[in-house]
Amino acid sequence: MSCEGYRDKLIAALASGDSSLAGDVAVHLGICAECKKFYEAQVHLFGAIDSGVRAMVNEAVPASLSPRVRAQIAEADMPRRVWGVSWSFAAVAVAAVLVISVTVLKRSRDNTNKVADRSPAVGQRASGATGVRAVLPQVAAVGPKRRSPEVQTATAPREAVKAPEVIVLAEERAAFARFVTDLPEEREVAVAFTRPATDAEDEAVEIALLQIDELDVKPLESSNP
Amino acid sequence: MRELVLIQPGRVLVGPSERESESCRAHREFEERLAECGPLAFRVAHGVLRNAADAEDVAQEALLKAYRNFGRLREPARFRGWLVRITFRMALDRWRSVKRREKRETQGEPPEQRAVGPTVEELAVSSEFQARLERAMEELPEKFRLVLLLAAIEGHTLEEVSGVLGIPMGTVKSRLFFARKQLAEKLR
Repeated sequence: MSCEGYRDKLIAALASGDSSLAGDVAVHLGICAECKKFYEAQVHLFGAIDSGVRAMVNEAVPASLSPRVRAQIAEADMPRRVWGVSWSFAAVAVAAVLVISVTVLKRSRDNTNKVADRSPAVGQRASGATGVRAVLPQVAAVGPKRRSPEVQTATAPREAVKAPEVIVLAEERAAFARFVTDLPEEREVAVAFTRPATDAEDEAVEIALLQIDELDVKPLESSNP
Repeated sequence: MRELVLIQPGRVLVGPSERESESCRAHREFEERLAECGPLAFRVAHGVLRNAADAEDVAQEALLKAYRNFGRLREPARFRGWLVRITFRMALDRWRSVKRREKRETQGEPPEQRAVGPTVEELAVSSEFQARLERAMEELPEKFRLVLLLAAIEGHTLEEVSGVLGIPMGTVKSRLFFARKQLAEKLR
């Protein structure tokens, strides 16, 4: 084997951290001064590498490391707790809003149904008395997006009566229902509301001079000499 | 008034006090890991950055990250391995950003003249070698570099390196071999 081959072998031995050399390499080092010199240089180099790398990593650990980490952890935990609290508040608020919305919706539907149940009686009474029945409106509540199925069922039989149908916005449904309920007591108002407007144009307002019959002029007392 | 409790079959009901004690236990466990692995994180970071202040920052960040992920890192061996890897990666990122900044700052400036007195010749030789070694380390593949750093930490055996990185012992030895060989070639 050439010197190059022996040198590769001894580098491999040093790189693997094996201090003992194979028999043939050790014999060659005994007879080749050049390779022995190379070997010694390599031992020195690998030793320097090892001590250099050890110096890089075995630096004294600063005492402030653990306290700093603890402080950071405490800081990091704080917003999480605050977030937890605010999330629970938000959840409660959302739940409350939902409950209120459902209740309001239910009440408004109940009111509409009540009105729908009561209005035929009102209509009969009214028609018997003054003929208001003809102008009694049917409540057909129309929301901006969807129609209430309950209201539709309630109004369906009345469509056969051919009574006028009024389209009411969802948010004005309750108020309109109250108005219809109070109709019998305020018949005149109802008639006024439902009577068609007269075709006649407004009469012109008369403009005339102001006339005063007698005018008695008296001088002021203080102006007398 | 009777209180009704809904319990899912096969699940243990954890009350507030139990939850609190669980959190205390986790906190105590993390404290133990911090005492045990904090120095390791710092040393790995220092091996990459060679600056105590930067290494401390990186170790701190890595430990904080470990705390946030402690739920799935309760097992000590897993924690060590995870922490070493995350610290190494963060240290490399920091090192790259430091290098970029240095490059920007020194652009256009004349190269620094190094005064080496004859009385400090030995020291200069040693520091010059260290600088060359650091440069050679930076050029090593990351997987070789990490094994070399971990193996160089005082009291770390190759078995521990294998355990920390979760790789076979043979892989640790071969990576160490190639790392040392490449360094020697660069420094020869």
